Amino acid sequence: MDGLAALALSIALVGVGFWALIVRRNLIWKLLGLNVAAGGSILFLVALAYRPGARPAIVGLGPGPAADPLPQALVLTAIVIDFATLALALVYVIFLTEHRHTQDVHRLEREEEWPQP
Amino acid sequence: MKWLSGLAVLGLMALLALGVSGIFPRLELPDPEPIALSWGARNAVAAIVLGVRLWDTLFEILIYAMTIAGVKLGLRFLRWEREVPPLAETPLLRRSADLLLGPVFVFALYVAVSGHLGPGGGFPAGALLGTGLLILAMAKGVERLSAEIHEPSLEWVEYGAIAVILGLASGLLLLGQRGASYFVAANLLIMVEVAIGAWVVLHRFASSRGEV
Repeated sequence: MDGLAALALSIALVGVGFWALIVRRNLIWKLLGLNVAAGGSILFLVALAYRPGARPAIVGLGPGPAADPLPQALVLTAIVIDFATLALALVYVIFLTEHRHTQDVHRLEREEEWPQP
Repeated sequence: MKWLSGLAVLGLMALLALGVSGIFPRLELPDPEPIALSWGARNAVAAIVLGVRLWDTLFEILIYAMTIAGVKLGLRFLRWEREVPPLAETPLLRRSADLLLGPVFVFALYVAVSGHLGPGGGFPAGALLGTGLLILAMAKGVERLSAEIHEPSLEWVEYGAIAVILGLASGLLLLGQRGASYFVAANLLIMVEVAIGAWVVLHRFASSRGEV
């Protein structure tokens, strides 16, 4: 895929993800949006490493410029931490659903609906 | 306000895209080959992840382990009370999972061991192995597989892998030792940690919210 096309796709993914994160009221949808936006930013970093005509950053693959290895190394971190934090966020959503019986942020934020001690 | 913040984010992304697309001049990259070779690897990404920015990777492993421990502790008191019938088990699914697990395991091992020579490394290998366990769990049932692979011992293996990799990497970094054997050992340990962490998350979610 051409670098610019990947960039356009990554920006679209981040836009869609942020839209879901801001506009949607359901917590699961918000987490899904956050994950889509994270996918877009990962694709953005990969596109950042792309150079026209460059070879992979591996020794012995021929002469010429190599792709930037630094964004690719950052992407590894992003993917693993994204998975782990999503799992932890889902645990909190399970807890909220268990105690408040809703995933709607507007209802969750209303204090009068919290159980009285 | 909502739309304004959305527009601000999109504007920022467009500015970044302009920077990347070549309209603005980009910095010349240093040649990654000498950096990779100085660490005893051929893959420059592996040399960066396990060499140049090793402390970052070590703390990433710690964050991963802490979130897995958080999932484990958070879901400890939530048990699925109703009896959920497991998915219908077909001989085809079971045989396919049994047949696929071996090649998946070997491929994960290959990806981890050759991570410093070409594309690969401990993190993708761990994801591969975790996916292999997921396939097997879907065929056999999570609780049965958990009993078969002795999950409590596996969790101690995960903690052991984390401790060994922290000690090994910090020691080698302080001593200034480099080389291919270090990359192989570190990638194998990271594979074990990521695969077991992924399995623990899968099992806890399945046992708290019903059978896979």
